Amino acid sequence: MAVSAGVISQELVYRVAYEANKRAAIAVPKDGLAAFEKAFARETKPLARFVLGQVLENAKLAVADERPMCGDTGLPRYYVKVGNTARLEGGFVALERSLRQAVADVTHDIQLRANRVHPLTRRNPGNNVGVFAPNVDYSFEPDADWLDITAVHKGGLFGTDYRMLFPADGVDGIKRFLLDTLAEFGRRGLSCPPVVIGVGLGGTKDQCMRLSKEAACLRVTGDRHPDPEVRALEDELVELANRTGFGVMGVGGDTTALDAHIEIAYTHTGGVPVAVSQFCTAYRRATARVSAGGEVEFRDDPVWFTPYYRREGIG
Amino acid sequence: METLRPREWHLKAPLSQGDNGKLRPGDIVYLTGPTYTARDGAYRRMLVEGHEPPVDLRGLTNVTMQSSPAGVEVAPGVYHVSSLQATAGFRYAQYMPALLERFGVKAVISKAGMTDEVRQRVFRHHGAVSLSTVGYGLGAIYGRAIERVLGVYWVEELGISEAIWVLQVKELGPLLVEGDAEGNGFFAQANEEINERLAQVYQGLKPPVFRRIGEEQGPKREPF
Repeated sequence: MAVSAGVISQELVYRVAYEANKRAAIAVPKDGLAAFEKAFARETKPLARFVLGQVLENAKLAVADERPMCGDTGLPRYYVKVGNTARLEGGFVALERSLRQAVADVTHDIQLRANRVHPLTRRNPGNNVGVFAPNVDYSFEPDADWLDITAVHKGGLFGTDYRMLFPADGVDGIKRFLLDTLAEFGRRGLSCPPVVIGVGLGGTKDQCMRLSKEAACLRVTGDRHPDPEVRALEDELVELANRTGFGVMGVGGDTTALDAHIEIAYTHTGGVPVAVSQFCTAYRRATARVSAGGEVEFRDDPVWFTPYYRREGIG
Repeated sequence: METLRPREWHLKAPLSQGDNGKLRPGDIVYLTGPTYTARDGAYRRMLVEGHEPPVDLRGLTNVTMQSSPAGVEVAPGVYHVSSLQATAGFRYAQYMPALLERFGVKAVISKAGMTDEVRQRVFRHHGAVSLSTVGYGLGAIYGRAIERVLGVYWVEELGISEAIWVLQVKELGPLLVEGDAEGNGFFAQANEEINERLAQVYQGLKPPVFRRIGEEQGPKREPF
């Protein structure tokens, strides 16, 4: 069906969402591969080095065979950034229908595991679609008419925790909570290290959780927060995590964290909510931009955290 | 730097007593033969609700995998698996005595192995080993090792992700020997070394001002 010039068609949204899910399931993004290669190169423990070598080999074979890189294909979800003047055929309701259809179809075609079940009855629809599934989170961008779709396939059992700290806890409290979370989930590698750590700091409790997930999944390795105090703490947390020595799959090794990303939000004057998420060895993400003219461009960096998204003032 | 490879075994399922006897924690195993998956749904149905298994599991093999393969029905009754990985084994501690006793299981493939207590009390008693997938995200490598899906059972009753998948595998590995037949465990040793480092890393960080219920659990203990 033809759509007016400058309107992004439903059909295109579906195709891009489908392709993003396919890529996310199969191919580790370049920044992830580079981080795993670096971890392999610096690893001094023989078993950890053997395992990291297998992780790199697996990434290659997954692409060669076009098969999911991990048997737990995670919970497919979307992060959608919409340009302020973007026009969508059928509006957001049509967009969401396309996003849900793409997850169902990729689940069948690429043979993802049907992970999503009813939490009480455990009924499995078999296509990773259900009540509030897949998640779709939105953000907006001024002076833009494009649509960015990021698919993330993240595991869902181990690695995330939340805690309300207080100003008197200081940075020590944050460090200690990170260590607690790593110790809780890093043993035997339940959280599948090496991980990218995402820390949500501040905001309301639910914002804090959400930001920790976004920090873990939507910033490329090596990226640093623009706030100098935050970026200094990011460096400290990577170093701290790696001093634990859990290493890949908890066998004991030099790299527990590939990187750490912190996102902050202004919070209650009396508290310091903190949340930790861990994006695991199955580092799965794909981003595409659909222009108003219908061009599609896939890229490595989701560029989710724009200056506008992190804005401090009113505008 | 040279990649120092661990001791490596290529074994056929069903495993013999001799096979299990030579395995030590930290060894790597590649497995060829039939195996079947079972996790929460299948364990509950067979071991708690008392349903007979849909196929003679004991007669088929003595290797089972705690897994839900990434696979679909490609044509009516025809299944294909793209990618494979095991799930965390500690969660199934309560089912292990009955599983090993009733089905003659001699190797359980999980993610991260069994609790020390279960390994000592149950696995050792049966001369069984606990194997762990490696990585843990080696889904493509393990998926490649599947030669054929021999059958998928209880799809209707349990849903496809909890069903029993009977798989013919070839050189399924690398699998880490997490627990040997004598009760020795890989992670028990690894955790001791990590605990020494953890104590240093925590040093000087003051405890939180507001404690959570159960906070007396120290970071040196496994949380399960």
